[in-house]
Amino acid sequence: MSSFLQHTFDGLVSGAFLALLALGLAVIFGMLRVVNFAHGAFYMLGAVGTYLLLTEFGVPFWWALLIVPVVLGALGMGVERAFVHRLARLDPLYNFLLTFGLTLVLQDLVKLRYGTQSSPYATPSALDATVDFGLFDFPAYRVFVLAFAVVACVAVWWLLGHTRVGMVVRAATEHPELSRALGIDVGRWVTPVFGFGIALAGVAGVLAAPMRAVNPLMGADLVIVVFAVVVIGGLGSIFGSVAAGFGIGLVQAWGESYLDRWPIVAQTSVFVIMAVVLLWRPAGLFGREEAPA
Amino acid sequence: MSVATKSPSLVRAAARAPRRLRWALLVIGLAIALWLPNGLYPAVAVDMLCWALFAVAVDLLLGYTGLLSFGHAAFWGTSAYATGLVAIHLGVPFPVAVLSGALVAAVLAVPIGYLAVRRTGIYFAMVTLAFAQMIYYIANNRRGLTGGENGLQSVPRELFGLDLTDAYYFYYAALPVVLLGLWAAWRIVNSPFGRVLVGIRDNPARARALGYPVHRYKLLAFVLSAFIAGLGGGLFAMAHRFVTLDTLHWTTSGKAVVMVVLGGIGTLWGGVLGAGLLVRLEDWLSFSGFEAVGLVTGGLFVVVVLVFRRGLWGTAAELLRRRSGLRRVRGGEQG
Amino acid sequence: MNRRVGAVVVGALLLAGCGGGGPQSSGDSKLSGDRIVLGVLNDQSGVYLALSGTNSVKAVQMAIADFKAKHGGDAITDDITVETADHQNKPDVANTKAAEMYDRLGVDAILDVPTSSAALKVADVAKEKKKLYFNISGATTDLTGKSCNRYTFHYAYDTYMLANGTGKTVTEQGAKNWYIVYPNYAFGQDMEKSFSTAVTGAGGTIVGKDATPFPNDNFSTFLLKAPTLNPKPDVLGTMQAGGDLVNLVKQYNEFKLREKGVGLSVGLMFLTDIHSLTPAALAGTTYTDAWYWNFDAENRAFADRFLKETGSRPTFAHAANYSAALQYLEAVQAAGTDDADAVVKQLEGKSINDVFLRNGKIRAEDHRVIHDAYLAQVKPAAEVTEDWDYVKILKTIPADSAFRTPSADCKL
Repeated sequence: MSSFLQHTFDGLVSGAFLALLALGLAVIFGMLRVVNFAHGAFYMLGAVGTYLLLTEFGVPFWWALLIVPVVLGALGMGVERAFVHRLARLDPLYNFLLTFGLTLVLQDLVKLRYGTQSSPYATPSALDATVDFGLFDFPAYRVFVLAFAVVACVAVWWLLGHTRVGMVVRAATEHPELSRALGIDVGRWVTPVFGFGIALAGVAGVLAAPMRAVNPLMGADLVIVVFAVVVIGGLGSIFGSVAAGFGIGLVQAWGESYLDRWPIVAQTSVFVIMAVVLLWRPAGLFGREEAPA
Repeated sequence: MSVATKSPSLVRAAARAPRRLRWALLVIGLAIALWLPNGLYPAVAVDMLCWALFAVAVDLLLGYTGLLSFGHAAFWGTSAYATGLVAIHLGVPFPVAVLSGALVAAVLAVPIGYLAVRRTGIYFAMVTLAFAQMIYYIANNRRGLTGGENGLQSVPRELFGLDLTDAYYFYYAALPVVLLGLWAAWRIVNSPFGRVLVGIRDNPARARALGYPVHRYKLLAFVLSAFIAGLGGGLFAMAHRFVTLDTLHWTTSGKAVVMVVLGGIGTLWGGVLGAGLLVRLEDWLSFSGFEAVGLVTGGLFVVVVLVFRRGLWGTAAELLRRRSGLRRVRGGEQG
Repeated sequence: MNRRVGAVVVGALLLAGCGGGGPQSSGDSKLSGDRIVLGVLNDQSGVYLALSGTNSVKAVQMAIADFKAKHGGDAITDDITVETADHQNKPDVANTKAAEMYDRLGVDAILDVPTSSAALKVADVAKEKKKLYFNISGATTDLTGKSCNRYTFHYAYDTYMLANGTGKTVTEQGAKNWYIVYPNYAFGQDMEKSFSTAVTGAGGTIVGKDATPFPNDNFSTFLLKAPTLNPKPDVLGTMQAGGDLVNLVKQYNEFKLREKGVGLSVGLMFLTDIHSLTPAALAGTTYTDAWYWNFDAENRAFADRFLKETGSRPTFAHAANYSAALQYLEAVQAAGTDDADAVVKQLEGKSINDVFLRNGKIRAEDHRVIHDAYLAQVKPAAEVTEDWDYVKILKTIPADSAFRTPSADCKL
């Protein structure tokens, strides 16, 4: 029992990363109809940025958790104005291609400057301990990551539900035709929302720095899993992407611990689930069917 | 809205281009193909052939069906493995091995395509990407069959006892297979089937209203495209005489997409041009001592997407069309 | 317009007709092209950049300088150069580059080539072109097993040496119970097999072993499992490399396994890995090293020169590249020609001592280059007093027992 709880907890922690990334992707998609291929690269920049703040400026983890998302958000807004915006009137595939190209550039820029070796980053000392939950114990930092991610997701959910920006985003995401017909001014919120989505990827990156290898390619394969997650949750659904993120994290953790003879199961489960969802509900578990784009 | 809405005008432009010019282009193309391994390191020339097929296969879907497959490495790589296994275990002449590899790729494309064509646009790209990644993990795990990370080594290259060890001779042995694949792609695009595809791409609702089974058409296009990508992948296995997991990785899919966009979406021959250029560029970069290959190709790609969306071939065709249009106007004035 | 097109076509056809490629044979000088060209083919942009990469080119240049200095006017030639290319860890690129190096750039011997799949392919090319290849950074024992050939030599290390060194020695020193996690691809699977054999052979027990996805950024499942196994393992043996190793070590510390009495042993680790993870994160970890820069005065002198050239201390791969280049040049000098068969004859069975090879010998049976290996342990942070001096050598594993006996699969 205690080991089951431990593995469940562990699944929720890795799910937290997927959920934060999927949430950012979903918010951006909702507003701009753009699937941001560079999301993994921004996650990587978040982690590398955290590392840089420490080594070059001596800025500790807690400040990085504040500074990095803000800086990345600004960078995201810049990218939106400089590149994404120019292709807004074209087929969204062009922006998908554009962000793919940006991914290659960002990865290589980091590689050129800092090499491909993984950089060290220590767990913040306040959290370098284990928490005893009675039945099982767990690294304190991971408990923090899970709590932080849950709080972040709830906060985003509250923002969407209770602020004017949130209503616009939600309307644009979940009823794009209707909101346009009602004359809601979606345009002025496009850039900030893109920046916000990138900032969320940055948060995930900062949280990853103390527990994962920080290197230029850390987001490259992850972004594909996140794609599958949002397809499962339903690209248009903000709740769906978060739920699917945590769900896939759980499935992977359980698969790894209880089907450990077949590591392939844990690795491919997300894609198999995606295939089943496509057969059963092509629009995703929580998505609404819309006219084919 | 579609990525290639511009292309019907290009197709028409090409049709309007003087017949003489088209023949001249064909002859020049063939002449370059025949001369290539004399001007370049032959192994690099062979790589160009393989990638050209891959790019054309991706363009067949992207340019003419409006579906961006970001997972075509699944077919390129699967065919490479199948080709390698057939050649190792059956010792058949290499074109037979390549054909059987392409067939395996086409068979794999049926279930993947069946699921993927339920979604369009951006979803399609993400779904194909995810499925390709799954195939990658499976190949990595089935070490007995694929050799895992070490790869499938020592694939024999055989054609009726001829010694094809030298890449220079292999180039000429492979050229007919490539031309066959390119010809097939050209035939598909210029057939009634191809025109229905373009119709579906531009207005799926209308095609459906006219009674076309849209999903089935897309699926067939997907399978045909996988077959052509498979031809390229099989040849690639033969060219290098080994197969590794790289052939299945998503970066391989990405490379083919870069080639298509570079050459021009919906131009078919643009893919060939894009493949040639990118292979040459990467070859040059790897000896140049410059470490950031992705920075150059990625940067180039971003520029093309931002300002040269027609790609090289598309831009050239557009310029030609304008010139010939101008000439016709002037000719009209004189007459 | 038409005429111009015609001219191009005719020109192209003519070129096609008389270009006539095919391999060209060299003249009858003792040296092909009257010079010696060494080729370093490795990863200059990816994960193996730091452990070998461009600094190995510098190491080879040092070898050339030393060779010239030693032989002076008697050197077989003064014209010795290095060509280098980045194979980006892609075997197909390695294949093309290797062929191009031998054919077009006149390279006589290729060095290095990390990633087993690329190394195996380059060995194939060497065999076909009848030119030499000294593998340094490829780990697979297939190079001296079923894929061995007359023109390929395997320097430095292989999976057997790593597993045997660590597995056997650590077990003998008292850590009887092992839990092994390995990445689920060829290298990891080979390592797991060799490790299990070595551990059980030395009287230890494998209490559990798990294949992990590759690549993987979350090892918590296995780290949670480790202390719950019965009997509790003394050592966690990890076969992870590169970024995965970094992930695993970070999380090993996060889950406080050392405090819970589970030590850490790493299958393959380079000095640069310790440098980037920091010795504090790895304190107490054991692994097998093929060479260590601060082992004795001779190594240290080499490392000082290397530091001046590159700004960092050499890994064993750097030193092995130096040694391979030097020994190749010596063999050419002795043979009086760079004809591959003559050089192979010079090298086979030769006993060598140099800065890298201690009690070294080039086995004629399978072209495995054997030498002393070392069981190393990362120092506690408090004992690290100099940059890059991160480990102490616990034991020298003599050349004869460090490597496996020649495999029956190998037919040169």
